[in-house]
Amino acid sequence: MPLDEALIAVALSAYTLGAVALLIYFFSRAPWLRDVGIPLAILGCAAQFAQLIARFELTHVWPLLNLYGSLSLFSAMSVAIYIGFAFRYKSWFAGGFVLALAAIFLAYGVTWYEGTMPPVPSLQSYWAKIHVPIVVSSYAAFLVAFVFSCIYLLKYYAQPAKTGGPIAVWLAALPSLPQLDVIVYRAIAIGLPLISIGIITGAMWAKEAWGAYWQWDPKETAALFSWIIYLAYMHLHTRHAWRGLRTNWVSVIGFVSIIFCYLGVNIWISGLHSYKV
Amino acid sequence: MIAARALYRDFISTFGNVLFAVTLFIVWGLLTLIGVVVEQGQDPNSYLESYAAPIARAILRLNFDNVYHSPWYVGIIALILLSLAVCTFKRVIPARLPPLRPVSVEKIPLHASFEAEEDAAAVRDRLESFFTARGWRMRQRSFGGTEWSFADKHNWARRGVLVAHAGFVIIAAGTTLYWARGFSGEMAVLRGETSEVARTRALIRLDDFAYSIAPIMTKSGMVYQPTDYVSRVTVTGNDGVPKAMTVRVNHPIDVDGTLYYQASYGFGMRFLVTRHGKPETALSQRTFLEGDSFDLPGTQRSIVYERFAPTVDKQSGMPTADPRVNDPAVVLAVSQAGNALGEVLVPLRSWIDLGDGWRVVPQRYVLYSGFQYRNDPGVPLVGIGAFVLLAGLIISFYFLPARIYVRIEEAGAHRSRVGAAATTVKGYDVFESEFSRLVLSLGREMELRPSVE
Repeated sequence: MPLDEALIAVALSAYTLGAVALLIYFFSRAPWLRDVGIPLAILGCAAQFAQLIARFELTHVWPLLNLYGSLSLFSAMSVAIYIGFAFRYKSWFAGGFVLALAAIFLAYGVTWYEGTMPPVPSLQSYWAKIHVPIVVSSYAAFLVAFVFSCIYLLKYYAQPAKTGGPIAVWLAALPSLPQLDVIVYRAIAIGLPLISIGIITGAMWAKEAWGAYWQWDPKETAALFSWIIYLAYMHLHTRHAWRGLRTNWVSVIGFVSIIFCYLGVNIWISGLHSYKV
Repeated sequence: MIAARALYRDFISTFGNVLFAVTLFIVWGLLTLIGVVVEQGQDPNSYLESYAAPIARAILRLNFDNVYHSPWYVGIIALILLSLAVCTFKRVIPARLPPLRPVSVEKIPLHASFEAEEDAAAVRDRLESFFTARGWRMRQRSFGGTEWSFADKHNWARRGVLVAHAGFVIIAAGTTLYWARGFSGEMAVLRGETSEVARTRALIRLDDFAYSIAPIMTKSGMVYQPTDYVSRVTVTGNDGVPKAMTVRVNHPIDVDGTLYYQASYGFGMRFLVTRHGKPETALSQRTFLEGDSFDLPGTQRSIVYERFAPTVDKQSGMPTADPRVNDPAVVLAVSQAGNALGEVLVPLRSWIDLGDGWRVVPQRYVLYSGFQYRNDPGVPLVGIGAFVLLAGLIISFYFLPARIYVRIEEAGAHRSRVGAAATTVKGYDVFESEFSRLVLSLGREMELRPSVE
């Protein structure tokens, strides 16, 4: 088995096992599960970055020029950003969800593997090494925000109904709603500037490749749509009454738009970024 | 007069409201999403074919087929800019630092209390050193015999929103400049021929065009991956001096401030058009591009050169996906008095009988290179605006203006009571952990007994 495929298999396995461990940890809070899940998350993430490097070394083609490569980076960056947040905010309880999503996206990316193909002329640019990683990293930050927003909403809606018993105890062990909201805010604080840089660098590349920095291409406008949602989030978060429940719903909607922008547009809509056949 | 003032106040209060701005964002987002989902700039009939009739009619009547240039879109951007201007001048610019006044420390969510074995003046001085060493700006005041210290950090970052708003305005100015003064266009230049760019009078001669295709077997089948398109041109600009240049994708050329980009390529076709064996000179000497048409003189028949088929499968006689020229043919669409008669695939150097003695023979193809050109005086502004907007976002996200109020009261001989409370522009939760660390450091370094709630 070629090295890069072996590393993908290692990453997928590590994410799957780590997801199981940390998902059970989310419910049981048994420390040994966390101690199993953390190394698996780190192993999977390291294997993914090693795979991308190995693929580049083997093929001499920048690996992020198709959905296979970019989904691989998306998974890796999601886990990497999450690991940073988990160490900073002691939030390993969310790891199961992040790893599960990373495994799903990585597995889906593998289905797009078509072998090594030389890049088409429009992709033969140094901007491919700048624009694509930045945009994919922003998507990854929004995924982390999405996971914590979901946990926020779970706690928000489940908490009042459970005033006693094991579920109430378990909910109380989660960070407070304001603390979860701060984590979501900080994740979006990484994602929104990154997607802004991504849109700017994409425009600069478009100008070099196609003559215009903005052509209202579906991918460009879908990215703008997502940017607008997170811009609304940022503005709403300045209002005390809107901080919390409502902004976390905005974060969830924002991530749905990111998936539409990333996958929906590329796969289902014809345009300059299209993989649609 | 009173009514005008009331109207003005209502206008300011509405357009200066952040929730109103967010509502505008939602509308802007929905219009943008419509443009993503509904294919833009298509023939009206294509919407009638793709959507149910009421939806198609709504798309066309509401200009959703060209939504980004519709009155709705331009209007919502204008409203957003107006709201941005009102917010900037009525909220952001006038925003001042909180006044240096006493506060109820215990009523602020982030607060802590300490006991010190020193008098108030000594505690105040040590507190000043403590906060100053950590980058805080300190000011002291005395109110009713009680010493107050005010520590501020990242005050300049309160202008982050102003910077971001300014960036948005600069971008809008840049795009308006292009709309007012810029131009763009497309041109196809046949190999060996010269075209003049009407707007700039530049002459572009296509000396040569080359492309390369790499066939790659994938699990989905054979894929023909284009790997390079190169146009070698001779360009004559305003100085009248011909210059040899090379145009590639991602490598445009600059001619007197107008940029020319490699956009596409195609196959022009020379046809031998004869009637009863005699060549029709005008048609036979012309090179047709894909999509061009010609009428057969003396008839109501017209022929459209639909497309070039670089490779035709010998067995099936149908065009293949291979874009390399092997056994080329052309697809001609024939119509009679405006009624389409059908399409036909005609191999090169084969003839097709079109009736009344007319025959058409696709003789040879001529490569052409498709260029896009653009002169955009607004690009520097848009670029500056983008980076200013980005700077504003980073300032707003990563630099948190905060104020710490410190109340120092005498609590007996050589004893003081210290109360500290923190406020920020982004709410208490964002600052909670940093405040806790500050309080712990304060307790350690000043040997105080802190309590954080």
